[in-house]
Amino acid sequence: MRMRIIVLLAAFGAAMLVWNLHTILLGLPDEARQDMIFRIIYFHVPGGMLGLTGFCVGLGCSLVYLVKKNLWWDSMAASVTEVALAFALTNLVTGSIWGRQQWGVWWAWDARLTGMLICCLVFSGYLMLRRAVEEPTARARLSAVVSVFGTVNAWFVYKAIDWFPRLQHPGPVLSFRTGGGKMDPVLEHPLYWNALALLCLAIILVMIRMRQEIAAREIDSLRRAAHSY
Amino acid sequence: MDNQNFDYMFYGFVAAWLIIVIYVVSLAMRENRLRRELDRVRQMVDKR
Amino acid sequence: MSEAGMPITEVESPEASRRQSRQGRAASPVALFLSQMWTIMAKDLRSELRTKEALNASVAFSIVILVLFSFAFDPTSDQAEEFSGGLLWLVFTFAGALLLNRSFVREMQNDCLDGLLAAPIPASALFLGKAMANYLLLMAIELVSLPVFGLFYNVRWARQFWALMGVLLLGTWALTAIGTFFSALTVNLRIRELMLPTLVYPLLIPALMSAMTLTTTLLSGSPLGPDNALALRMLVAFDIVFTLLSVTFVDTVLLG
Repeated sequence: MRMRIIVLLAAFGAAMLVWNLHTILLGLPDEARQDMIFRIIYFHVPGGMLGLTGFCVGLGCSLVYLVKKNLWWDSMAASVTEVALAFALTNLVTGSIWGRQQWGVWWAWDARLTGMLICCLVFSGYLMLRRAVEEPTARARLSAVVSVFGTVNAWFVYKAIDWFPRLQHPGPVLSFRTGGGKMDPVLEHPLYWNALALLCLAIILVMIRMRQEIAAREIDSLRRAAHSY
Repeated sequence: MDNQNFDYMFYGFVAAWLIIVIYVVSLAMRENRLRRELDRVRQMVDKR
Repeated sequence: MSEAGMPITEVESPEASRRQSRQGRAASPVALFLSQMWTIMAKDLRSELRTKEALNASVAFSIVILVLFSFAFDPTSDQAEEFSGGLLWLVFTFAGALLLNRSFVREMQNDCLDGLLAAPIPASALFLGKAMANYLLLMAIELVSLPVFGLFYNVRWARQFWALMGVLLLGTWALTAIGTFFSALTVNLRIRELMLPTLVYPLLIPALMSAMTLTTTLLSGSPLGPDNALALRMLVAFDIVFTLLSVTFVDTVLLG
């Protein structure tokens, strides 16, 4: 059943990605001021959206773990956070490349990218902590707490950086943020489709990662059984 | 200008995909390692 | 253990004990909590002030960092004022990390941590007591580093003295609360000296950003204006939110 879901999602996601690539590279006109480079937005923004959503979902799973003490939720939190970190990194790297082209520097300390960088730092710390703690319940407990602190901090960081103006990242252009009109619909729709395709990919990766977490726990318990004689 | 634009766009796409691919490869490597470990530990338990 | 459930710190005569139980029965929960916090804080301060190990090391370390930074940035240039606030808070953060790491680690010897956890005080009182002790020690280190900083970088820091003290008080609490909490979190790890800075520094960024901008303004001699209101609000909000979070989760982290 799981395999079937994974295969279906993979097929759907792959088909969508291919179709989107065709649209992005060949079907769209060049943007007025940025020529071709703006097409990076179709990976930059969905990467960021998936990253942030993933961190928030990780927070939710961590809180549920703290209440219910069921290690399944801890595995889910870890998997979602790890996959979200991968997508957040793509957001950072594509943002940096875009910035190099637009603003001339590889890293410009603008609001959103810096905020995302700090999130990545915090959640890399989360993953490092998980590797440092051997005992499963202690690991789950401690990393859940770090997840809570990290997500609250992420909110603070976003607020803080918005209030301390440096180089301004382009403001929101997606219609659900601005109420419509800032971005040509022809250009906007592929963004959502690509976000959906990447979401399929993210879900598959989370499912694979979850299976690995469960296998790791099985290994752990078997090892204890083996050594307990 | 157009050429330079295209270069950076290309780098951007490559970078985005490379990160995802590296992550998937690392997942696959971890899967192999876990599978080997699981078999080894199962054998250890069966032997007892 | 006396009837009020307060941990005994010294041998009591029967009269004193009776007096204390009478007081204990009448003491409100808040007063009890505060006295428990006070006991822990006094214990930590006493043990640190007797040996002064961490205090001396932190002060020495902060002076060394100030010297090192003087090679990295030109302290006599006109632009020195722009990064003065940032530099000062970096010094405090690094020196503070030395101090904060020891906070719970020092209890690991002779199972003192188990003793503390077994004591009938709430974990939040333990946390707040330790945080207050660290706070006072870190403030002392900062007040020693400040004149040295003024000396090396030719900064007249006393021009907006009370406002600067206010910012120091708020910013240091942010450092202390987060640092003490993560000291508790990482206390049982093998690589705690690596994990503490890795986890703490990114989390401190909003507070440090606010404190740095406020301090830079104050060190240049101008009072805090309406432009700084946001930074001040951010710092206060950070302090409140993360203190509440720490107090809520310290039980989970220490006890499970």
